[in-house]
Amino acid sequence: MAATSLGGVNGGLAWVGLLARLVTGGVWIVAGALKITQPDASIAAVRAYQLLPSSLAETVGVALPGLELVIGLALVLGVLTRGAAVLSSLLFVAFIVGIASVWARGIEIDCGCFGGGGSDPGAASSYPWEIARDVALLAASILVVYVGRTRLALDSVLFRPRTARTTQGEGD
Amino acid sequence: MSKANERAQRAAEERAAQARRESRRRILTIGGVVLAMIVIVGGAVLVSVLNKKEVTVSDAGSSDFGVTIGKKDAPHTVVIYEDFICPFCGELESRTRDDLTKLAEDGKVLVEYRPFDLLSGRVGDYPIRAASAFSVVLEKSGPEVAKKFHDLLYENQPAEDSGDSVTNDDLVALAVEAGATESDVADAIKNVSNKDWVTKATQEATANNVQGTPTILLDGKVFDDGRTVDDLAKNLVDALE
Repeated sequence: MAATSLGGVNGGLAWVGLLARLVTGGVWIVAGALKITQPDASIAAVRAYQLLPSSLAETVGVALPGLELVIGLALVLGVLTRGAAVLSSLLFVAFIVGIASVWARGIEIDCGCFGGGGSDPGAASSYPWEIARDVALLAASILVVYVGRTRLALDSVLFRPRTARTTQGEGD
Repeated sequence: MSKANERAQRAAEERAAQARRESRRRILTIGGVVLAMIVIVGGAVLVSVLNKKEVTVSDAGSSDFGVTIGKKDAPHTVVIYEDFICPFCGELESRTRDDLTKLAEDGKVLVEYRPFDLLSGRVGDYPIRAASAFSVVLEKSGPEVAKKFHDLLYENQPAEDSGDSVTNDDLVALAVEAGATESDVADAIKNVSNKDWVTKATQEATANNVQGTPTILLDGKVFDDGRTVDDLAKNLVDALE
């Protein structure tokens, strides 16, 4: 695999990538951690979207917080960065679709993004802002997928070639 | 074979072996990280499952805070926890009332409606006023009138953000329409006299881990089989027929 150069233009991107990782990852960690100890609220929040059959809503409600937490940790630490960013992007797409769909169907619910959830009168006015936030985080996730190698990522330690190539004068 | 050739071959073998070691290490690292992730997700799911509260409620017909239709010896029991202002409860009511009434009359199910206050913290005091009025009617005019009043409350349900649009006078009028004698219930409804009853009903629901409305229990187990309230209503009726 060709190592992406960390100098020049890409160097700048690598720092932006770090920022995107920290922001997105931080949001995931908070979102996941707040819900892990509140499974019933989490299940109710998933159910309130009225998109998934009941048993699946329960599975998603229980598993999603843990998944969010792991994606967040992976992004913040920079472990398997690209894969974590791909998952992060997919989840944001799912959330955007979910919120857009309740908005379109005229269902007013708390998005349950950071705990809570369920019916919430007057919630429709916050849908545009929630979608905008998720779009911004989706963009940050896609940026991380694109940049791949970001600054201060644990990946660069884990996947550093162990034996120095004698033929190459320059290390990294 | 010349020495130079031998050397070149050894070097090539060495490089290939190194590449194999590299890729092996890479796969092991990825595997290790993925394993750690799975452990964390698994741990989180375990924490969630351990924190999950099972709804455990008393049998239909046994609560002090509900109104029952049907026969005690019916093969099925249904308990419905509801808040008078909750829109999904209203929807469930309108989708199930006729069928449940019929099934109860036919002796197929015993249904207990247990109103409590879930939403007053978010929408104002309508849930308390309505549930208090319900208990006044139940106390003074008996279960049949109370059930009728309960139905009328849902038919005249205010939106969540306009609970005040149904005043205490309106509640009295609905109680009278349901069959209550005005002089029996008017003062108590207007003064929200049975707030205590509502508090206790709410405590009972909370103690039973009822965390949302409508919460439906079919034969003692939470019944949530349905993507939408309409599905839920249809599946409930199907399960009883």
